[in-house]
Amino acid sequence: MEISFVRIDDRLIHGQVATVWVKETKCNKIIAVSDEVAADTLRKTLLLQVSPPGIKAYVVTIDKAIEAYNNPKYADFKTLFLFTNPTDVVRVVEGGVPFKSVNVGGMCYKEGKTQITGAVSVDKQDVEAFRKLHEKGIELEIRKVASDPKVNLMSKIQDL
Amino acid sequence: MIAVIVGTHGKFSEELLRSTSMVYGQLENVAGVTFEPGESVSGLVDKFKAALETLDWSDGAIFLVDLFGGSPYNAASRIAAGYENIDIVSGVNLPMVVDVLVNRSSEHLEGLAQLAISAGRDSMKSFRSIRESQAEEEL
Repeated sequence: MEISFVRIDDRLIHGQVATVWVKETKCNKIIAVSDEVAADTLRKTLLLQVSPPGIKAYVVTIDKAIEAYNNPKYADFKTLFLFTNPTDVVRVVEGGVPFKSVNVGGMCYKEGKTQITGAVSVDKQDVEAFRKLHEKGIELEIRKVASDPKVNLMSKIQDL
Repeated sequence: MIAVIVGTHGKFSEELLRSTSMVYGQLENVAGVTFEPGESVSGLVDKFKAALETLDWSDGAIFLVDLFGGSPYNAASRIAAGYENIDIVSGVNLPMVVDVLVNRSSEHLEGLAQLAISAGRDSMKSFRSIRESQAEEEL
């Protein structure tokens, strides 16, 4: 399996992802990785419904994502991986999936989170996970859409 | 880069481009033209021409207008009739505009116009009918 792109976006598949990122990243599959969403039949069905034409989408648990990455049956996959949060990314990376760069697109504000850009808010757990990814040498860049300039995430959380 | 001009009855074009930038990001070589109550078609031709002057259409231009046969379409057609590298697609909607922007660097005018039509048309779907036909595939 080829890793086309890795994005954290808590809306998973939505307008920007379905129309712009899919084209930019030249993927042929979308794998949304979330234990929570994979267990939620309704959310899962609705997400699969909005996958763009010609692109097969899957919603899987973290364990399943690691297993699928290592399965030679999926060698022709050019996958756009979607996550809702960085902690899940750490788990997949620690499971042996070699992400080189993670795009952070949307993590919405909730109480107790700190807003670091218009579209990205983080809590303590997120910061800890991002630090782990950074220590592993993974690029962490914030961009809402492909044409935005890359913003280095670490520079935004160094004081948190 | 093919220039894009969105032309509509009322302020729809301006707002449509604002919506487009929410999904696509910053817009480049794109203009919106509004047709307000009381304006004439020849006035609209002038507005389109003025918009074209602000754009780079050395690779061509595509007008995306709302109603086929409406004034924005008619005004655009008066301009398009004089050039080989201008086309007009009617029935503009958000998916159409986004798809045109995403694909315009890799398409020629003719392909882009066809793609605009399919993008606009294929975006119309019913939740209930999709849900009935949906078959899930597991990894």
